[in-house]
Amino acid sequence: MNTRDIVLIALFAAIIVVLGLLPPITLGFIPVPITAQSLGVMLAGCILGAKRGAAAVLLVLLLVAIGLPVLSGGRGGLAVFAGPTGGYLVGWVFGAFVCGLIAERLVREEQPELSQFLSFLAASVIGGIAVVYLFGMPWLAYMSGKAFLQTAAASLVFLPGDLIKAFVAMLAGRAVLAGYPLLPQRA
Amino acid sequence: MLNGLDIEGNSPLHRLPVRGKLILLFVAAIVLFLLSDLRLLAPALALSAALYLSTGIGVAEAMRRTRFVLFTVLLVAAANYFFQSPHEGAVVFCRLSTLVLLAAAVTATTGISAFMDEITRLLTPLERFGFVRAADVSLAVGLVIRFVPEIFARYGEIVAAHKARGLPVRPLTTLTPLIILTLKDADTIAMAIDARGFRRH
Repeated sequence: MNTRDIVLIALFAAIIVVLGLLPPITLGFIPVPITAQSLGVMLAGCILGAKRGAAAVLLVLLLVAIGLPVLSGGRGGLAVFAGPTGGYLVGWVFGAFVCGLIAERLVREEQPELSQFLSFLAASVIGGIAVVYLFGMPWLAYMSGKAFLQTAAASLVFLPGDLIKAFVAMLAGRAVLAGYPLLPQRA
Repeated sequence: MLNGLDIEGNSPLHRLPVRGKLILLFVAAIVLFLLSDLRLLAPALALSAALYLSTGIGVAEAMRRTRFVLFTVLLVAAANYFFQSPHEGAVVFCRLSTLVLLAAAVTATTGISAFMDEITRLLTPLERFGFVRAADVSLAVGLVIRFVPEIFARYGEIVAAHKARGLPVRPLTTLTPLIILTLKDADTIAMAIDARGFRRH
């Protein structure tokens, strides 16, 4: 990694922190407020690619662990990892990596707009939602003891909000690719 | 803007080395998940609450910091209460809140720089295999703390620009310029770091 990569990782981690400072949006048809922070996970993969995207998210989690209140709502410290939803945070790292991996393989700068949109959407949904849930739900289920099915099912209330975020990540990912491409592309 | 969650003080927990606290927290997590006897878990919860408050943090501040995580714990415990048994709900509540309070106590008694030093020490063995350079991690942490206020101010400017032009403030139209403007600085910052010779090869 050269110095520019390290700076890009740090700047993107800072963007993810800033996304957590913005007030959460409440949409009428979804029972939970949407915070922009997990959108940052998808964006990290879509814009920086697998390695640098995952590193940016890992850097945010490092800041949380050493006791900086950088998660949305001013949360931070080791207690966040000890809680029932800690698995989602761990899943963020792998989510950003998978999201970046898919975006690197599918997106080409010379592609028509529509296939770029679809590639970014696939990357955000698979990496930013499926992979994150893959880590978050078993952790939540384990922490819940015997009522694991009910709590895992209840966590699905976040799904509509996450789908909206995947859509925003798709649009923003494609816009950044057009304005300032950084995504390492490979066959 | 980015202040740590550690509380100044000289309690026994403050004087414990960082690595010792982390190992104790890890052991406590394993033991808590092996226990399912309320006669042991309920005193453990009282003890961890006492430990957290012994760090010198006020009750109001302690509540403010842990309320979100404790709320999720309460939801999980409620699910057990309704779908399993009241006993199961109490066990899950005691176990998870004990763990959360212990973790919060470690955070409250560990300064950011002390924690960062420990992380650097833990990363040194990885350095030998060429995975990551400990000095780069500290550099990145420093960069984030330095740039968060600046990026937040830039977001404010973009919102103001939207309002000045009579445009609605939408996530998409603010996010894209924020990201592009921020990442475009990377080259200049990287050059400034290299010019100062922070990363010798």
